[in-house]
Amino acid sequence: MNNETHTPSSDFAKEIALIPGGEVINKCIQCGICTASCVVACVDDQYRPRRLIQKILIGKRDEVLKSDQPWLCMTCRMCEERCQEGVSPAEIFHAVRILAVKEGHIPKVFQITVEKVLCDGWMLADAYTDFNEDEREDLGLNPALAWNDTFTKKVKKKYLAGEESA
Amino acid sequence: MKEIMLYRGCTTPVRLPAYEAATIAVLGKLGVKVVEMDDANCCGAQYVESVSRMAFAAMSGRILALAEKESQDILALCGACSGSLKINKHFLDNDEKARKEVNELLSEEGLKYTGKTRVRHLLQVLNEDIGFEAIEKAIKKPYKGLKLAAHYGCHVTRPYEIVQVDDPENPTIIDRLIEIAGAEAVDYVGKTRCCGGPLLAMDESLATHIGQDKIRDAIAAGAQGMVTACVFCDIQLTQVQFGEDTDSSKMIPVIPIVQFLGPALGIKEDVLGIELNKTSPDIILSALQEAK
Ligand code: SF4
Ligand code: SF4
Repeated sequence: MNNETHTPSSDFAKEIALIPGGEVINKCIQCGICTASCVVACVDDQYRPRRLIQKILIGKRDEVLKSDQPWLCMTCRMCEERCQEGVSPAEIFHAVRILAVKEGHIPKVFQITVEKVLCDGWMLADAYTDFNEDEREDLGLNPALAWNDTFTKKVKKKYLAGEESA
Repeated sequence: MKEIMLYRGCTTPVRLPAYEAATIAVLGKLGVKVVEMDDANCCGAQYVESVSRMAFAAMSGRILALAEKESQDILALCGACSGSLKINKHFLDNDEKARKEVNELLSEEGLKYTGKTRVRHLLQVLNEDIGFEAIEKAIKKPYKGLKLAAHYGCHVTRPYEIVQVDDPENPTIIDRLIEIAGAEAVDYVGKTRCCGGPLLAMDESLATHIGQDKIRDAIAAGAQGMVTACVFCDIQLTQVQFGEDTDSSKMIPVIPIVQFLGPALGIKEDVLGIELNKTSPDIILSALQEAK
């Protein structure tokens, strides 16, 4: 009973349902509460979480995987909080991203940032200057931040060799 | 004295070190000693998170294991860090296979994740570990006649089942702290809405628009300032007020909760780094009353 679906179910929707986060996509009843709750939808009239989910449900695989839209979601989870069917558009778009990356579709800014984080151990290595060190010292804070990049390089080798640079 | 281990994250130490200094000073005053974590790595939020579930779990898992080695709980000042650490703790605690895999990587440097370490966002430390009563007792110079809006940060409060900080639909911790310090907390449209920060990378103008709407809604409700609990939100809600088409006469100060509480607890402003704030905190500081 709990797994009763209300909507069409394309092969693409089944594929998304196999990725963590995408499991319950077929419980979506297309009510639109997610779009109504979404601040990105408020300021961008192209961005509509309900419509994006509908595109998955009816099988527009290519269009969705190549689109920037799943990457505009801020994972603020306002929609998830409000969805009465227990569906999380944020999690679904996350599952879409994972699949898109596997097929070589990743926005440049994500690709560059992942690369940076895994090489340097953290995101702001280039932004950290003498000025910041002085500011920290003045505040009585340790200027040596001591980030570890050995582990992140290992993570890159194990999980992301080649993928994020596709 | 109770101790907690601060995971600084990437942004606080570089772009808002005063938040870090104020946290150490305020928690110290309230009986919690902050020790800092060294040799850490990025928590993986947003970027690594978007490309690989297991890479994300490994990055946060190592941070959890570093604290576990020292038998400490983790303090996070950023919604992205606290959210990522909690989501991955939940994942690793419930997925034996993933836990084993992460532990294989960690064992190469003698670390192990078992799930003992708790992740505490700053608001939890203030609310649960210290408590409103103790904070109220410690107020030396209350504010008076000051209206402030609370901004909680999406990743601080959602998803509730995992982060367990405050009511996600109607959060009250910051509001209560504003009132305990003598100021008035104002309710405003879209209080639980996002600051727009996570959208900066993909579309800066949309992100700015979202942040500006938030400031506008708070001002419309009579707020003279905005109190935050996440470094990203603080920076975002500050910088959206400096855009080309913004009216500087309508600027309101944005201030992290600890910098707001500090002066009322009798901590000197220079220790809290308040003079480094980009939005003038004068209207807040001038509402401080003499010692009670
Ligand atoms: S709120 Fe939930 S059920 Fe309604 S359209 Fe959005 S995801 Fe589907
Ligand atoms: S999580 Fe994404 S889709 Fe949902 S409300 Fe936030 S930005 Fe919109």
